[in-house]
Amino acid sequence: MASRKKVLLKVIILGDSGVGKTSLMNQFVNKKFSNQYKATIGADFLTKEVIVDDRIVTMQIWDTAGQERFQSLGMAFFRGADCCVLVFDVTAPNTFKSLESWRDEFLIQASPRDPDNFPFVILGNKVDLENRGVSAKRAQQWCQSKNDLPYFETSAKEAVNVELAFQTIARNALAQETEAELYNEFPDQIKLNANDNARNRDGDNCAC
Amino acid sequence: MSYMSDLSQSNEYLSFRSSIPLRKIVVDSDGSKAWRIFDSGPKSVRCPLICLPPVSGTADVFFLQVMGLASRGVRVIAAEPPPYWNMKEWIDGFKRLIDYLELDRIHIYGASLGGFMAQKFAELTRNCPRVASLVLCNTFTDTSVFEYNDSSALFWLLPSLVLKRMLMGNFTTDKVDKRIAESIDFMVERLESLNQSELASRLTLNCSPCYIQPHLLNNMPITIMDVWDESALSSRVREDLYKSYPQAKLAHLKSGGNFPYLSRSDEVNLHLLIHLRQFDGTELSSSYLSLVPQPKSGNNSEQATVSYFNQRDKFVKIS
Repeated sequence: MASRKKVLLKVIILGDSGVGKTSLMNQFVNKKFSNQYKATIGADFLTKEVIVDDRIVTMQIWDTAGQERFQSLGMAFFRGADCCVLVFDVTAPNTFKSLESWRDEFLIQASPRDPDNFPFVILGNKVDLENRGVSAKRAQQWCQSKNDLPYFETSAKEAVNVELAFQTIARNALAQETEAELYNEFPDQIKLNANDNARNRDGDNCAC
Repeated sequence: MSYMSDLSQSNEYLSFRSSIPLRKIVVDSDGSKAWRIFDSGPKSVRCPLICLPPVSGTADVFFLQVMGLASRGVRVIAAEPPPYWNMKEWIDGFKRLIDYLELDRIHIYGASLGGFMAQKFAELTRNCPRVASLVLCNTFTDTSVFEYNDSSALFWLLPSLVLKRMLMGNFTTDKVDKRIAESIDFMVERLESLNQSELASRLTLNCSPCYIQPHLLNNMPITIMDVWDESALSSRVREDLYKSYPQAKLAHLKSGGNFPYLSRSDEVNLHLLIHLRQFDGTELSSSYLSLVPQPKSGNNSEQATVSYFNQRDKFVKIS
């Protein structure tokens, strides 16, 4: 595989509404945060170039509305996803409980080749707030039970762990993309002419 | 007309051809020159999306956009120019077409040569703006990328067989998936249907020395759409386009070949919808429906917790 080839990584952020999906994306891409809550409408994306292990890769990060139903997004939205980021709010236990269904639903819709090893990254957001409802231990336990998913405690507001989390997301997505490419590689073309030549040569041999 | 490829025989294509008429519109004094358009309507939308094809394409190469976006209320017009041999003729002709169709402003989705002409048109009409926004697909800002600048003056006398072979060289058919292969078959059929003057004039426009001045368009909403597999345009040409429009939204597709509007129509339509959504509710809206359904009350308050299983309006459904 040519390492010079530019890589595009498609990352999808999911989670209940109000957990900070858009804020995390904005913090990572634009280094900006706003306290003003504005519900995301429809799906939208931002692109950012990052360097992973000396390779320049372009991340296409898709943000969704938390109240969006999966079916409404359509296949185009999920096609070719390389990593799925599941976000919950550490102060709201019900957003943590939803992770399981988000994960299941993603696997159904995106139907990746190898669902057990598809890269998910879990983010517990809003750690800057006082009133925690989900302990780090509980979150880590859940992640471990799901094939050791990487877990980060982030704050989009104070830019805690955001960069680190997205670095991991990019690295895991890149690994997934490289693997997908291996599978996509077409088998060598079957050259009909080559066969013909071989047969002719055989024929020649016989004629001798 | 006897189109045999899978896409030409598909239900979508047949339904497109049987529901939307091909119109021929003469806007030049030379009555033999006619624009060929498919207009999905409705006429009440005065800022439609106009799709401009690449050299080898006809208006119907955008049938999946016309059909897909029409279901969201977007008025899409796929337009194919008659033979124009220089930039000025083309620009004047397109201006007259817009006047004839009584359009206020237009959004343009231009592919390859179509994208180049779209930029040029926006640039030359900037003082009396006709273009509301651009979506540029696999396109370029300088014709010198084709390295035919010197010979382009002679295209008019080459036989169509030679011209077709020049173009076919770009149609890679090895190692592509089924949908890309189908899109190539479809385009080859369309290329075959073009006559010598159509081909020669388009290639002349495509290769005559000319370039865009992107800084004149720095206030224009632009989405750059490009495909990252081995398409006819090199990554250098793609990078040049990004640099030309630093304000543009970048809608990269992982794969799709040279004709993503055919091979990846669902993704292309999703990006077109996201692009057009920014004009919702303004006089520049391309749809008679809202592309952004209002969220139901309750979602706006900070405390609201919303179960994600509840039935919501479909926001980005592509049919």
